[in-house]
Amino acid sequence: MIERLGLVSNALPAQAEELAALGGVLGLPLLLGLLGGLARPARGWPVAVVGVLPLLALGWLFLQVAGEGRVWTVPLGPLSLYWRVNGLALLMLLLTQAILLASALYAPTYLRVDVQAPARRQAWFWPLLGLLATSLSLIWLAADLLLLYFGLELMGLVAVGLMLLPGKADALVAGLRYLLLALIGSLAFLLGIALLLGAWGRLDLAGLTEAAEPGPLLWVAVALLSAGLLLKAAAFPLHAWLAPVHAAAWTPISALHAGLVIKASFFIALQLWLVLTPRSAPAAWLVGGLAAAAVVWGGVMAWRAAKLKDMLAWSTVSQLGYLLLGFPLLVGTDSTVAAVAWEGTWLQLAAHGIAKAAMFLAAGNLVLATGKSHLRELAGASRRFPLALLSFGIAAISLVGLPPSMGFTAKWLLLNAALMAGQWIWLAVLAAGTLLSAAYVFRVFRYSFVEDAPSLDFRPVPWSMDAVALVLALASLLLGLVAEWPLSLLRAAGGES
Amino acid sequence: MPSLLMEILLVASLLLLGALTLFNRHLVRACTWFVLFALTVSFSWWWMGFPWLASIELLLGAVLTGAFLFHALGVGPTAKRPSGLLAGWHDHPPPRGRALMRLLPALAMLAMLGLALEDLAEGRASVALWSCGMGLLGLGLWAFALHRHLIRRLLGFNVIGTGIFLILVSLADETERAAAHGLIITGLVVAMLGTALGALLIRRLEALEAQHGRQHAAGGHAI
Amino acid sequence: MSQAWLPVIALAASLLVVPVIFALPERAWRARAVVNLGAALFKLLMVIVMVFGLYQGRDYSFRFTVVEGASFLLQVDAMGLMFAGLSALLWLATTAYAIGYLEDSPNRKRFFGFFGLCIASTVGIALAGNLFTFLLFYEMLTLSTYPLVVHRGHPAALRAGTIYLRYTLTGGLVLLLGVVAMHVLVGDVSFGQREMLADLGPDAHPMLIVLFVVLLMGLGVKAALVPLHGWLPRAMVAPAPVSALLHAVAVVKAGAFGIVRLVYDVYGIGLSHELGLLSLLTGIAVVTILYGSVRALSQQELKPRLAFSTVSQVSYIILGISLFGPFGTIAGLSHLLHQGLMKVTLFYCAGNYAEELGIHRIDELDGAGRRMPMTSLAFTVAALGMIGMPPVAGFITKWYLGMGALQSGMPWVIVVLVASSLLNAAYFLPIVHRLWFRPGPAHGRGRWPEERNLGRFETSTWLLLPTAATAMFSLATGLLAGVAFSPLDLAIFMANGEYRP
Repeated sequence: MIERLGLVSNALPAQAEELAALGGVLGLPLLLGLLGGLARPARGWPVAVVGVLPLLALGWLFLQVAGEGRVWTVPLGPLSLYWRVNGLALLMLLLTQAILLASALYAPTYLRVDVQAPARRQAWFWPLLGLLATSLSLIWLAADLLLLYFGLELMGLVAVGLMLLPGKADALVAGLRYLLLALIGSLAFLLGIALLLGAWGRLDLAGLTEAAEPGPLLWVAVALLSAGLLLKAAAFPLHAWLAPVHAAAWTPISALHAGLVIKASFFIALQLWLVLTPRSAPAAWLVGGLAAAAVVWGGVMAWRAAKLKDMLAWSTVSQLGYLLLGFPLLVGTDSTVAAVAWEGTWLQLAAHGIAKAAMFLAAGNLVLATGKSHLRELAGASRRFPLALLSFGIAAISLVGLPPSMGFTAKWLLLNAALMAGQWIWLAVLAAGTLLSAAYVFRVFRYSFVEDAPSLDFRPVPWSMDAVALVLALASLLLGLVAEWPLSLLRAAGGES
Repeated sequence: MPSLLMEILLVASLLLLGALTLFNRHLVRACTWFVLFALTVSFSWWWMGFPWLASIELLLGAVLTGAFLFHALGVGPTAKRPSGLLAGWHDHPPPRGRALMRLLPALAMLAMLGLALEDLAEGRASVALWSCGMGLLGLGLWAFALHRHLIRRLLGFNVIGTGIFLILVSLADETERAAAHGLIITGLVVAMLGTALGALLIRRLEALEAQHGRQHAAGGHAI
Repeated sequence: MSQAWLPVIALAASLLVVPVIFALPERAWRARAVVNLGAALFKLLMVIVMVFGLYQGRDYSFRFTVVEGASFLLQVDAMGLMFAGLSALLWLATTAYAIGYLEDSPNRKRFFGFFGLCIASTVGIALAGNLFTFLLFYEMLTLSTYPLVVHRGHPAALRAGTIYLRYTLTGGLVLLLGVVAMHVLVGDVSFGQREMLADLGPDAHPMLIVLFVVLLMGLGVKAALVPLHGWLPRAMVAPAPVSALLHAVAVVKAGAFGIVRLVYDVYGIGLSHELGLLSLLTGIAVVTILYGSVRALSQQELKPRLAFSTVSQVSYIILGISLFGPFGTIAGLSHLLHQGLMKVTLFYCAGNYAEELGIHRIDELDGAGRRMPMTSLAFTVAALGMIGMPPVAGFITKWYLGMGALQSGMPWVIVVLVASSLLNAAYFLPIVHRLWFRPGPAHGRGRWPEERNLGRFETSTWLLLPTAATAMFSLATGLLAGVAFSPLDLAIFMANGEYRP
């Protein structure tokens, strides 16, 4: 499992070229963000032109590792920082850049047409976006706890900052709550790291794998780390902050938050479990129980939600439950099960990231067009703005996990893993999740097909906003059929074992 | 001998200042205590031989965090009298029974940590540091459970953070010191930025509320 | 090389129509009609090419891996082609009918878009080469039919849509679980690799029985087996072409076709017989046949009566395949086509009556034969076929069913057949009687509920032609059953393959 994470123990000092590639992936988004803050693009095309640069940097990084996972050390004064570049990290980086690029393309028109926020506040958007990209990339690439801590904190603060941008009272209150939770989470995380450092004297993950011995200290440390991370990931009992945060934020920010930010905490948590306690199945079952509760509770709440964005936020809680099922399926299971569950988990992460981002953008378009945020007020939407609804629907297919979407393929793998492991209960959880998600998603369509709606005045949605949402949605649909491609990337660089 | 005395003195003053910061009824005074607390922490770092940490703590912990806290309260160099809505705000602490109830999670946490660190802490450097950190952690957690007010929680957060830093330093030996310092510096920056964001948010909310209140009042007159 | 692409092209032809239709503006109905009819004709052509290829022993298959252990596989075999042929033929007819039916109604673009998607799913189901691919298209069918069911957008339609989804999505989920379990148990089973399950040995038999029941539950929802049929009568609120399609080819048949695949191509008839699964199917089919007929009797409106008749008639297919022996197989497979042709005709007729005269209830049909002779003639032919009168197609089915019952040693099934035919007669003949022998508005008594005079003939040509054509086909498949390439001939071809390896 450690090999799958790319944490090989023979770390090499990074060469100049490798460092440059790494620096490009981490630094370019930040640089472009600052540039964006200065230039404040009003159209999508300059963003599209410039946004290709980080992708090129990523390609360069891919060439550097050339088919096998590497761990590099980079000295920083007396410290040495560990970086890991493997298939998983590359896949996550690609996902991050894709969703970020989509949000960035969506944002100029959105800010101009929908928000009409003061220029000063819009100027903050771009640097924060760049910083978010950097912190996320840092988290995917980090192979020691110091870097992870740094990345996590940076991401948390930037996310709070982005939440606050609308500047309205509800956004501020939600942001305040989010800030406090993020701070609590980071304290728990720091305490956990302190214990690990005190006990085994090292922070690099590969080293900790060998050094860590089971015992009360390890359990307490992992419990603290997981509590902090699961709070930030909005895992089941710690999820209450999510819905108000999403409802109040700007649309592209909600998309990023649900698609990536929450996933980063989950990513770290799963990684730490696999590194520190790879055999503790009972504890993983506990997380599985939380996952089941998340799937059902999130689904029910999404079903009952009256507002479109609330529904999406609750559905994030529910879908995160699918991801948390990765714990019981990966921790303490045999290697054939783990191989399937491994692919299923990351595919699910990518699927939900893309699909949820697409749904948020499409929902943003619907809200912009109707000027209303309630589901009920979507009556007649299927005739008036079919494109936004189509994007929403296509992404919803992936969310529900119907073929041929990415969500379906991921669910297929998870179901396979659950059956192979003999953990029948997760079958029921996944089944319940599917039905619930179908129930809440089709509520939207039910309203949109109503024909005898009073014809209110509608605002036209700029085509570029529709196009971004549609492209993301189509990606989530069609990548399911060619899932072998992202999965081969996952396997390619040091994932075989 | 003087070093032991000094150690005991520092631990005692840190715990006392922490308690004052967290449980003083009057917010402006609590924030003042916090600045003193941060200065003492900074002095402790210096005394332990970490001048870098001491200066960063001085700058970030005492000066900037303190400034943001006072900003949140509406206390500034120009306006000597606190103008923020929250400045004159007195806590109404919960009844004693409930307050003790809320101590339980903090105690449970401490017990868990104590259990985990049982055999670890023995061979390590400073028992005083370690126990001081635990004490601050416990106090902070209790305050966190006790209060709902945002500034109080920010204070609690800062105190807990300091407790964790102390534990971290007490656990790390020479070879791990660089990593520990890296963590602490990151933590300090985060705590400062978190407090700053919180403070700015509070001010902004107050401004919105005041605006809203004026509109409300104007509407009342019209009727 | 080019041959492997033939099924892909057939599928793509119907799939690519969808974005084109969505791209065309709402008002461009001529362009839309051309695209629709052109694609339908093209697909029919492809199917004909593949039928000839198959008879010459060519092998068309197309495969790529989706994830490890599951691949997307399109392959062409006789059974799939039969279903593809049915869908291609009826797509052509129904497209023409829908163009006429939806003239001047709103949301036509949306309707034809999803209509095309629905047909593409049917083709996919027909050409699917393994359970995984079948599942893909099976679920796609669910999704693409939902907008068609709720097309009108009034509360009853929305309610029906919700119920439809509740049934079909749950069914799809159960099917998914079954397919996953099958993959974990034996791996990727291509249709026709019957030996894979047979080789598992007796230890796996209890598991296989459980799996069969799970898969059957998943498929039975769409096949409207009692007690999973509840959605079908309610889905009647959809426009007539949708009902026609749902009942004749798309949804109901997809379920029945899936069961056929399950019995013949996954488990194999031998193993199914050995495990006692065929008796289970017989039992379910008999109950469904009788229950559907009895419920049909009590319906006062035309479309619900036809709907319950579908519930009953589709189970003839299940009954046929559950009778162990070549005759049963022939009956079941040929009825897959026969029922499609006859039922689509009946629904076209019901649509014609509703459009031209505003008739929805059976007691309003008095004397309609005089006002709309062509439609009524088509209705009579199809109804007689349903009852099992020679020389219409339905007779062939019932004849072979009876022989199959004798062959498999279950003569009591003949009693069921007779009872069901009597019930069929009891609910169809009164309608025929009203059409021709009761005096009505056409004789100067009373008025039609809402007469519209849509076309030069008794109604719009777009509506009349498909009706007449499918009625002719139902008659022809019965009369010319012995000719090469007739449904019966195909069914015999397949039954031979099944029982003489």
